[in-house]
Amino acid sequence: MRLSAVALPLLAAMTLNAATQPQKVFPLSYDQSDLPNGLRVITIPTGYPNVVSLHIVVRTGSRNEVEPGKSGFAHLFEHMMFRGTKNYPPAKYEEIMKEAGASTNAYTSDDLTSYHATFSKEDLDTILKVEADRFQNLEYSPAVFKTETTAVLGEYNKNSSSPTSKLHEVLRDTVFDKHTYKHTTMGFLEDVKNMPNQFDYSRQFFDRYYRPEYTTVIIAGDLDSKAAKTLVEKYWGGWKRGSFKTEIPVEPPQTAARKAHVDWPSPTLPWIEIAYRAPAYSDTDKDGAALDLLGYLGFSTNSDLYQRLVIRDQKVDVLATDDSSHVDPYLFGVVSRVKKASDLPDIQEQILSTLNGFKDTLISAERLDAVKRHLRYEFALRMNNSEAIAGTVARYVALRRTPETINRLYDLYDTVTPEDIRDVARKYFAESSRTVVTLTGPGK
Amino acid sequence: MKTLAILATAMTLNAATQVITLPASSPLVTIKIVFRTGSSSDPAALPGLAALTASMLAEGGTKNKAYKQIVDAFYPMATQVSSQVDKEMITFSGVTHIDNLEAFYAIFREMILEPGWRDDDFQRLRDDQKNFLRVSLRGSNDEELGKEVLYNRIYQNHPYGHHNAGTVSAIDKITIPDLQKFYKERFTRANLIIGLAGGYPESFAKRVEADFNKLEKGTDDAPKLPVPKAAEGLRFTMVEKNTRSVAYSIGFPITVKRGDPDFPALLVAQSYLGQHRNSGGLLYNHMREARGLNYGDYAYIEYFPNGMFLSEPEPNLARRQQIFQIWIRPVEPATAHFTLRLAMFEFDRFLKEGLSEESFQRSRAFVTKYTNLLLKTKDAELGYAIDSRIYGIPEYTAYVRSSLAKLTRDDVNRAIRKHLHANNLDVVVVAQGCEALKNKFVANDPSPMTYNSPKPENILAEDKIVQVLKLEPSSVTILPVDKVFE
Repeated sequence: MRLSAVALPLLAAMTLNAATQPQKVFPLSYDQSDLPNGLRVITIPTGYPNVVSLHIVVRTGSRNEVEPGKSGFAHLFEHMMFRGTKNYPPAKYEEIMKEAGASTNAYTSDDLTSYHATFSKEDLDTILKVEADRFQNLEYSPAVFKTETTAVLGEYNKNSSSPTSKLHEVLRDTVFDKHTYKHTTMGFLEDVKNMPNQFDYSRQFFDRYYRPEYTTVIIAGDLDSKAAKTLVEKYWGGWKRGSFKTEIPVEPPQTAARKAHVDWPSPTLPWIEIAYRAPAYSDTDKDGAALDLLGYLGFSTNSDLYQRLVIRDQKVDVLATDDSSHVDPYLFGVVSRVKKASDLPDIQEQILSTLNGFKDTLISAERLDAVKRHLRYEFALRMNNSEAIAGTVARYVALRRTPETINRLYDLYDTVTPEDIRDVARKYFAESSRTVVTLTGPGK
Repeated sequence: MKTLAILATAMTLNAATQVITLPASSPLVTIKIVFRTGSSSDPAALPGLAALTASMLAEGGTKNKAYKQIVDAFYPMATQVSSQVDKEMITFSGVTHIDNLEAFYAIFREMILEPGWRDDDFQRLRDDQKNFLRVSLRGSNDEELGKEVLYNRIYQNHPYGHHNAGTVSAIDKITIPDLQKFYKERFTRANLIIGLAGGYPESFAKRVEADFNKLEKGTDDAPKLPVPKAAEGLRFTMVEKNTRSVAYSIGFPITVKRGDPDFPALLVAQSYLGQHRNSGGLLYNHMREARGLNYGDYAYIEYFPNGMFLSEPEPNLARRQQIFQIWIRPVEPATAHFTLRLAMFEFDRFLKEGLSEESFQRSRAFVTKYTNLLLKTKDAELGYAIDSRIYGIPEYTAYVRSSLAKLTRDDVNRAIRKHLHANNLDVVVVAQGCEALKNKFVANDPSPMTYNSPKPENILAEDKIVQVLKLEPSSVTILPVDKVFE
């Protein structure tokens, strides 16, 4: 939103110059507390006027889909949450959101489902009330459920024209044997097609996971923390705590290199992804932080390999890492789009050689420092409105349920040394824990 | 109204030098350099020239710096210069933390004013542009493909009549001297708008203005735009490709753009029919919510690229001519014929019935408040301020708020009747098995709908009408996907 001259006292005071005292990367003061039922409430006055952004994070995603045949269910459930209650049927819900001029949506990932709305501050009371109602009293008929499952199939369809969706799907299926990260958030196509028959399970899913102990309400924007918290207590305080705990299967160590190939039916440039098993997110253990930095050092736009393959030799036009933070051990991947299929073996070799290079050669402190500065500025540039602030916090809440984890993570980045980078390369880049997936179009 | 007053004083526009400034107490600074030229100025033989020229500036080296040096310098600042090319606007943008403003601006300035025109950058960016068309658009995104084919179809033999990235074969003909010529003739002071927002020092705007005054003077030489020729009847363009679902885009040219008297009325009508990526629009409710046909269905009165990736439109796509568009997200092949019939049925009903007083009040309230959310960052606010300058309207939220306050239901329904119609329009279909689908369209085969769950009587009764609705294509063209943008 627009900023008047008095706005942003907190952000304006923030400087990231090395000469000054190190600052917290998440620069805003916030209030965090738990209601007796286990619901966590985080309020963040941002200094941006007039607007409030509400993010309701349920720490349930495709990771929780432990039963066979139920992949994609967390995402389907996200859709069901828009199907109304007795007090607020969908049309009434829509009417209220429309009158508030709210921008509303939701998304599901491996570890979370997030429902978000951004609106004028005067509508906070109404929207908290309506949202609290659907989290506690969601009601839908088997017929409505079946109709929504076909909209989910429609979503699968619109994603299916992208070769990277398929590459990603096959990679996870190849790497994981036991853990639910084996499937993507969309789920396996056969499970999506079978969703219409799973009404009873959908009610069970709601009963298990849509509970206060799984949920965090984040409110960022032009607000008074105390007043906002009082509203949350008023509307969400009566929500009953649940008792369900999921046993997520533990993935055994990978003992041999794996590979897979996708024959894509339409013309495309070839893709390759090389992935290694990597640790779970941590804001105390350095391994994940060091791997994050290694990814930047090895494969970002100013890296030697990017400059060679993309800029100088022009053999590939995409080179990036795929190592998003996860609750459980996930992957460190390098993905590339190659201009000629005949170059695939060479590109694979160059990526491997770059990864292995970190095992023997210590990187310079100067390069490491440039990456650390990049990360801090990248974060600062992202904090440019209340919606972005709440959205960023939501992703970290899925991991540690507090914005403080952001500060801890960036502080951890600061402690990573060239030796740490070498050590994680030695620890994680073993051939036996590697998976390579390639994708090519017809006629290569 | 206090907020408005602050805005009015904060936004200053120097009419002579076209500098728009939005100073604010913020650690971030946005710089936008806009040239009022674009792909509509591409020479007929070289579609894609404007886009390649812009990427040579934003992603190539300068006279004194190789691209690698620029990347290395920007890296610790976590910033970059991005370019956006549309028919009549080319925008270079950068956002930096105030700590890095001097270092960032020194390079940004050099990139726009002293391009390096290196052959290796040229080869790389030419490849990127071809691969964007061949792989990203044709190969990976059926929805965007359908939308862009619709624009090409509507604007045949018109300066808007090619994709901003050009065609694969024409890109190969572009040479570095072509780029230099385009740069010299079009990237001129006559076409320039400078935009600054955020916490920059007071003297900064003058410096930027003085620096960019070194550009060639140039002349305001935007091409004349003929009135696009509307389709006669329902003109079908079908793109044959290997895909598991069927994507539709439907549209026709309109004479209304931002700033025109009926724009606010159509903004409300569009929101009622299908507010982008929001539930609750008429099309969404009837096609997705009630029948589960697909992931969503929306309506537009302004160009909105990359809608599948964005919740809100990008600014700086101002155009002198716009189309009305309906976007039907991919559907299962078995329901494709029925879905198109239903879309036309709903659109026709919308045209006949217009908005009720209640729908009008609700949609107007929504648009009035929602507009504030579009300008949530300083970056977006600057983008909209530049567009408002081009369209000759006040600050955008003030423009929408004040126009909507005066608007009546009759204004909206009159504007719908005046500007929208279901008779002469283009339908673009991206599908596998176009020939068979075409035969169904042409033969007007009934398309009975079956559902996986019981449906209310009113839906079933409507379906009986919809399943035999006459579509009657006036012409059908089938294009293999590898011929599109070739």
